[in-house]
Amino acid sequence: MGDYTPSELFAVLLARDLRAEDTSAQVGANMSFARAAVMLANRTDHPDLRLVLGLGVNNFAGGGTPPPVYPFLFDPRSLVGESRMVQERVFDDAGKPDVFFVGGLQVDRRGNVNLFGIPDGDGGWKVRGPGGVALATMSTNCRGYYVVMPRHDPRTFVERVSLISALGDRTERARLGFPGGGPRLVISPLGAFDFDDEGEMRVRSLHEGVTLDAVREATGFPLACAGDPATTVPPTAAELELLRAGADAAAPVG
Amino acid sequence: MSAPEAGARRSVVRDLEAALAGIEDGAVVGIGGAVTSAHPMALVRGLARRGLRNLTIVAPTGGLDVEILVAAGAVDTVVTCYVGIEAVAAVAPVFRRAVQDGAVKVKDLDEAHCVAGLRAAAQQLPFHPWRGGVGTSYPDINPELVAFEDPIRAEPLLAVPALELDVALIYAETADEFGNVQVAGTGNMDQVIGAAAKRVIVQVDRVVANEEIRREPARTWYWRDCTVVRAPFGTHPYSSAWMTADEGHLAEYTKAGQAGGKELALYMERHVHAPADHDAYLEAIGIRKIAGLQV
Repeated sequence: MGDYTPSELFAVLLARDLRAEDTSAQVGANMSFARAAVMLANRTDHPDLRLVLGLGVNNFAGGGTPPPVYPFLFDPRSLVGESRMVQERVFDDAGKPDVFFVGGLQVDRRGNVNLFGIPDGDGGWKVRGPGGVALATMSTNCRGYYVVMPRHDPRTFVERVSLISALGDRTERARLGFPGGGPRLVISPLGAFDFDDEGEMRVRSLHEGVTLDAVREATGFPLACAGDPATTVPPTAAELELLRAGADAAAPVG
Repeated sequence: MSAPEAGARRSVVRDLEAALAGIEDGAVVGIGGAVTSAHPMALVRGLARRGLRNLTIVAPTGGLDVEILVAAGAVDTVVTCYVGIEAVAAVAPVFRRAVQDGAVKVKDLDEAHCVAGLRAAAQQLPFHPWRGGVGTSYPDINPELVAFEDPIRAEPLLAVPALELDVALIYAETADEFGNVQVAGTGNMDQVIGAAAKRVIVQVDRVVANEEIRREPARTWYWRDCTVVRAPFGTHPYSSAWMTADEGHLAEYTKAGQAGGKELALYMERHVHAPADHDAYLEAIGIRKIAGLQV
């Protein structure tokens, strides 16, 4: 990998993929790269995108001073900005935010995400996760979401998740009449992935130095790739400068 | 307590032990706050000292509050969408172990299901409809969530059953002695937790004069009856609008929680059981530490 961190790469890839119609993005966990992605977007193509960060709602276009990355998302020093994030009210306006960022223990070839844990098959838990947080609701309603996986191996990229916390499968989503657009991208340390017309995960691009064989080896299902895989366009000097000047993606991934 | 004069309003301020005295074994207890902020930790520690059993804890985005009550052996069931301490503990360790061992049951809800279920209780309805969770494993891991076809548009939805609480433990920065509560932060999910409960106990940093409340009535939370308990810095080790969370303490707790056994017992002894009251807890934490956390 070039002269940038995995976190910076994630931030740049997310920022580039945001859409003109996106006007609000919620960073629901303390993901510094997601926060950095929105701040970078504010300073480039998306000056109107509001960032729901911790307890405040902000827009960092035009030079608003971003707060430092605090150890915890719900830090009282983030009670600043243009508005405040009230937990219960997030769900009173199901059409917003437009964009959400999702992590998980597992993602599968249909784009489903598991954050619950691994059941023991007998009504109990082999591995218990923290809980589903708001993943089910946000992934159902928001315009689009990004799945960011800090690890890429056959245990995290699986044929079928043990439990579904966020339903990504576009066939199922259409059948159930979900309002939201579903997963836009899956990003891992090896590459960026999206979904074909049948809803199967496929390679969009592989990061510098990653071969198709290597990513297939690390994936627990047959990973589709149309022709030769594209190489992820690395962060440009301009993107890195903006990130490092004010968006602070320095904290480690995961 | 002497009888109030005729025509005088009654104070709802009680000391911590008196406020918690009515909570019994098997009670359904809602706890406010969100993730690392605004949990009524002084009330939680007080409840843990009561030696109660078989509580159902409704903690939408919980962490150390759930941990302390589970470690105290007080908990039968946790109703939640998250029990963790962010990066310090991706999953709260004592909760994780108790759930994996089958010692504590968990009813999994989405964060929005928590709001929907509390609203149903507050509105005296049997359930609230919700779409988030349709097509997921929620109804499999929590069979109380019932898939149904809505009678208006024939869409597949989930019925989230009412979350009726016997008591709600909530934190706010200020209140007056008559139970007019004002939040300096965002209030999180606390108002709906309060509305779902038969009794509400509000832990505050400051008890202010009624005149101060009247200066900014728009900030007063609600006109619901409640009991007020004064416990300055009582969200520690979590944050309030005036104090950051104590990352070092949370890391130290997490180490003890992961180790379990003697180390966990030592934490519980030092920070929950040994202090005679909340002031003694603060003394043990130390004035330098508390002062350093102020925003």
